[in-house]
Amino acid sequence: MIASLTQDLAPVRAFSARDGAALLSVAGVLTVVGVLLVEGLWHGVVDGGASAFFWFTNGLLGLLGLASAGAVIAMASPRVGSRSDAPLWLGAMLAILPIVAVLSLVRQQHGVEVITNDMYGIHCLSASLFATTLMFASLTVWLRRGAPVSVNAAGWLTGLASGALGTLAYGISCSMDSVSHLGVWHVAPVVIASLAGRLIVPPLIRW
Amino acid sequence: MIADEATLARLMVAGQNGDKSAYNVLLSEAGLWLERYFRRRVPPHQLDDLVQDVMLALHNKRATYDQTRPFLPWLAAIARYRWVDHLRKVYKHESDLLEDNDAIEESDEEAIAARVSLERLFVHLPQKQAEVIELVKIEGHSIREAAERTGQTESLVKVNIHRGLKKLSALVEKAE
Repeated sequence: MIASLTQDLAPVRAFSARDGAALLSVAGVLTVVGVLLVEGLWHGVVDGGASAFFWFTNGLLGLLGLASAGAVIAMASPRVGSRSDAPLWLGAMLAILPIVAVLSLVRQQHGVEVITNDMYGIHCLSASLFATTLMFASLTVWLRRGAPVSVNAAGWLTGLASGALGTLAYGISCSMDSVSHLGVWHVAPVVIASLAGRLIVPPLIRW
Repeated sequence: MIADEATLARLMVAGQNGDKSAYNVLLSEAGLWLERYFRRRVPPHQLDDLVQDVMLALHNKRATYDQTRPFLPWLAAIARYRWVDHLRKVYKHESDLLEDNDAIEESDEEAIAARVSLERLFVHLPQKQAEVIELVKIEGHSIREAAERTGQTESLVKVNIHRGLKKLSALVEKAE
């Protein structure tokens, strides 16, 4: 067996996390360009009109997305001793946002209706999910080229990374910067994408 | 004696660059390392198949070795992954005894070997799960025999094996 494997040996390009980052960056740039072409940039982002909660939410999404994407990229080259706890803590931090949104509305009259009657909510949810697809696909392709050994975790993290970065990319076009809107409709896509990642990715990357 | 970490890493890099003689040495050394690695956790008649399975995985996934990192934790992660996969497939009644525990040779690599060993995976399992996986999947006893020995019901043995294997697969990279 050793002789036949040696006989078949051909040079290979060694794994580098930079290649994975480059692949994801291309997908991210294409997504942002697509959002700008279809939805346009919200002027509040550049003229200082956006609320502090807008920056807080999108900052958390960015950190969560980058931490999760970094973990996914590293997972293509396995090793005993590898840990990816950062996305877990950042995800827990993001989970505070919908809680804050609900708590801020619960004492108001018709508070729940503020969320359910948000006429832009479903659009933000569906557009954010659409914006995740390219990055979701690029991370899945990267994992398929690699040798992930924690396939379920890789699935969760792929959904988490693409969900957070996709929602962030779409977020630059959204002019709704209230606590209730961002805390619910800009967090839900991350949850949905994570579940999709857990269901879709493992069968595709198992080897 | 098996080559040390630095030598194995150097051979792997040469193998990635297409150096056939270095790769041949690497595969021989990796084969010896894997045999020792699995000996306590795989019945003797399954050992060769599992080692060959991992060697094939090493060959097919050789591009995923990151040259900036140590070699053995990479090989151990692949070995653990294939081993858990192997345990999932083993359902037949097997009565072969495992070979005696070979003490790990005294060397500088001892610390690395202990850190990446299969034993480290079992430490993280609840005792009831580790016990039945050991009896059924490694020593080859039937579900009924495992139930009699552990005092668990047959259905509980099955559930504990299922949950234990699921947990093992989640621990492949983490347990050290």
